Amino acid sequence: MTTPLETTEPAAAQAAAGAGDERPAWRGTLRYALAKAGGALFSIAMVIVGTFFLFRLLPGDPVRNMAQGRNMTPAQLDLERHRLGLDKSLIQQFFDFVGDTLRLDLGMSYEYKRPVLDLIGERLGPTLLLAGTGLVIAVSLGIWQGTRAGWRHGSRFDRFSTATSLLLWSVPTFWLGLLLMMVFGVGVGPIPGIFPFRGIESVDAPDGFAYVLDVASHMVLPCLTLVAVVYAQYLLVMRSSLVEEISQDYVTVARAKGLRDDEVRRRHAVPNALLPTVTLVFMRIGFVVGGAVTVETIYTWPGLGQLFYEAVSVPDFTLMQGTFMLITVAVIVMNTLADVAYHILDPRVRSA
Amino acid sequence: MRKWFARLAALGVALLVAGQGATAALAQDPAAGKKIVRVGATQSMDSMNPFIAVRLVSTSIHRWMYGYLTVPDSKTLQPSPDLAESWTTSEDGLTWTFKIRAAKWSDGKPVTADDAAWTFNKMMTDEAAKTANGPAVENFESVTASGQDLTIKLKSPQASMLENPVPIMPKHVWESVTDMANYDAEKYPSVSSGPYIAVEHKKDQYVKLQANPNYWRGKPKIDELQVVFYDNPQAAIAGLKTGDIDLLGRMTPQEFEAIQNDPNIEAWNTQGRRASYLQINHGATTTDDKSVGDGHPALKDLKVRQALHYAIDKQKLVDEVQNGLAKPADGSIVPPIYKEFFWEAGGEEKVSYDPAKANKILDDAGYKKGADGVRTMPDGDRKLEFRFTIHTETPIEDKLAEYLTAFFKEIGITLTTVKLESSKFTEETGVTGNFDIAISGWSVNPDPEEVMATHLCSRRPAPNGEGGGTESFFCDDTFEQLYKDQLKELDRTKRVDLLKQMQERLYTQAPIIAIYYTNDLEGYRKDKITSITPIPEDKGLLYGGSGYWPFYTVDAKATGGSATGAEGGSNTGLIAGVVGGVVVIGLAAFFLTRRRKAVADERE
Repeated sequence: MTTPLETTEPAAAQAAAGAGDERPAWRGTLRYALAKAGGALFSIAMVIVGTFFLFRLLPGDPVRNMAQGRNMTPAQLDLERHRLGLDKSLIQQFFDFVGDTLRLDLGMSYEYKRPVLDLIGERLGPTLLLAGTGLVIAVSLGIWQGTRAGWRHGSRFDRFSTATSLLLWSVPTFWLGLLLMMVFGVGVGPIPGIFPFRGIESVDAPDGFAYVLDVASHMVLPCLTLVAVVYAQYLLVMRSSLVEEISQDYVTVARAKGLRDDEVRRRHAVPNALLPTVTLVFMRIGFVVGGAVTVETIYTWPGLGQLFYEAVSVPDFTLMQGTFMLITVAVIVMNTLADVAYHILDPRVRSA
Repeated sequence: MRKWFARLAALGVALLVAGQGATAALAQDPAAGKKIVRVGATQSMDSMNPFIAVRLVSTSIHRWMYGYLTVPDSKTLQPSPDLAESWTTSEDGLTWTFKIRAAKWSDGKPVTADDAAWTFNKMMTDEAAKTANGPAVENFESVTASGQDLTIKLKSPQASMLENPVPIMPKHVWESVTDMANYDAEKYPSVSSGPYIAVEHKKDQYVKLQANPNYWRGKPKIDELQVVFYDNPQAAIAGLKTGDIDLLGRMTPQEFEAIQNDPNIEAWNTQGRRASYLQINHGATTTDDKSVGDGHPALKDLKVRQALHYAIDKQKLVDEVQNGLAKPADGSIVPPIYKEFFWEAGGEEKVSYDPAKANKILDDAGYKKGADGVRTMPDGDRKLEFRFTIHTETPIEDKLAEYLTAFFKEIGITLTTVKLESSKFTEETGVTGNFDIAISGWSVNPDPEEVMATHLCSRRPAPNGEGGGTESFFCDDTFEQLYKDQLKELDRTKRVDLLKQMQERLYTQAPIIAIYYTNDLEGYRKDKITSITPIPEDKGLLYGGSGYWPFYTVDAKATGGSATGAEGGSNTGLIAGVVGGVVVIGLAAFFLTRRRKAVADERE
């Protein structure tokens, strides 16, 4: 590497770029952010259009399905169709749908007979709690292990942690969830089953601080499952980008300056190696909103994932549409934010 | 490396203590000292509004909450007084007068005939209110009330009047509801007149019901009945094993085997109320007799259908598909648990497993075997290749398909399996007729009229290809006449005989072939539930049964009888404090070892 030292150090590079340019750096960033936001809005518009047609291509007539196993007269079926607005022309349904969506009216759920937005609102809390906690733990664990594994790659710790995480990553979530439920929920041999495995709270939940503990104990197994299957990706990304940084000249220079190994890693290598992980984390935040359908279904967690699962099994078209849109929009928004954050964090992206 | 393990251990201990602490704290919960029975369910409630709720779990819960005109007797399953304490019928069978019992709603107001009249009239005038039990009022001309007397005038005689499935609703609470289709009835405590009152419902989580102190038979023995929902059956089984729930019904043979040897669980294995049968597309038509669908022409031939029947080894299916937890069907769609109505084939008519006979029937009818061993139509070269339609993701149906394929291969018929997702399945096998043979089944109520009606001409889809509710696309003059006769027959013995003749007709005409009656598989905690009476009382059902008897009679030990629970609720704070402290110390220890290591060991 012949590049001058400063340009590989983000902080220094940012200062240099700012000084060398005529316009202030933030204006470039702002223009970039606006362009990205425009792109995101376009994507969201496409999602709305796509959602409408996607959910009408699905097999099965919702009204006939509701009539399942019951004697319904054609008059009753028509009434039901009228109630759901399915008797209008497809074009009319489409414009109604777009208009309603823009007004944030996601319609009434066929199944629950309640506004979809209310249902989503109720489920958002538990989902954010579970998937959010899971994400924080998975990211911390992944980065921590990835850093150590990458810093001394080939070591026993590296081989052990990488292999473990990859093994867990390849395990089917449903299977792992059931296994954890059997071992730590029901108990096997000497291991007592101490953790609850259904829902977010006990049916007769206590009040006050005991309630917090109650919820916390209900979170243990779902969180563990969630973390176990996903932390490998943070570990691997972190590990490989750190391995790349180690061979860089600036690391050698830092070592040559006589810095302790620990400091070389913390102050120099890790900040540079974090960039790809940041992108990954932002992308995953988008998915947090969608919850974890499988984990929520195993542990009967009252979140958006469970709601989506219920909606699919009915099928409840409005509810499916609503949750689907929420999840895709969240992912788009977080991806856009990731792009912008990347732009701010890494000057190399900006100058390109 | 060793330190790393120490850290993990520290974290583990902290979590363990937190978990145990929480469970200990829970033993002090508000439920302590109460008699609570928790019932598991793998289906969540669709609605608390009995006018629109159709799921089995919802109708069960409503049966525990509301009163009906009559309920099945716990011994004979024949209609017995509930909110109607007595009744009379006019000479022509068109006018029924019910005397409504002087009972009280759970809010203290008296139950009158006016409540019942309002309920039925609402259903007769509001299409949306018909959603759950519409057919029950189809034959009603008018319903009027005077004091405690309810008078129902019918359009034509109806013997099954006493099997009315409609819960009587309190008029003073419900008359203000205008938009029935969108009313979720989530108001607590509910006002009802049955043994229990709903006090809380967390969608997809649980429903809490409290004993109704005003119940006319007397307050139930337990204080609270809770229905706890699980998203998947494995979790529900695990819940029963840990005692999170006290009773679980509707198990599959595989699930049942998982709890069978648990010392704390009473494994409940009795005759069930479900018949499983094959639906044969013998020429699907709409109500104006136009053909629909793409069924194989050979199945229109009764001989082919009979040959299929002879080729099925029902005992083998019971042993190997249902793990022995079923009874081979030697009758039709009414299972033997209903002793009164059950019809069993005998003599010449009885079809037993006999592939040679099946082959002979087909040979004689001119279905010749080709070089590949597959038979062809007598008047052409279309091969006897049938599709077997089953649901996706149902291992039992997959297995059934394997066995049937092997059975039919023996008689020169090829069977290929088609798997459809449930909404598509219903559409193709019940409306559009795009199938040859399909799996089906029905959980039969104490009076079989309803299940018989699913094989009437009028239940086929309307001319526009919509609606209906047929289980077979059957349309047979003899069957229709028998159905009409039994409707009018007020003499019970004669009516039972007519209903048996209908089963015989279904058996011999084979629009459906009953294969087995699955057992009712349930389990409950012996260490919690001290007594429960099934329905019928002699080897009957618990959760799967109709009527509230099992859950009205259930008795249980009070919660919190454990060592920790005995100390009472005052320790909750202390325990919580200790647990909190341990968690904090554990976490601190974890981070301290981390810190120390970070400083020490990277310095090689």
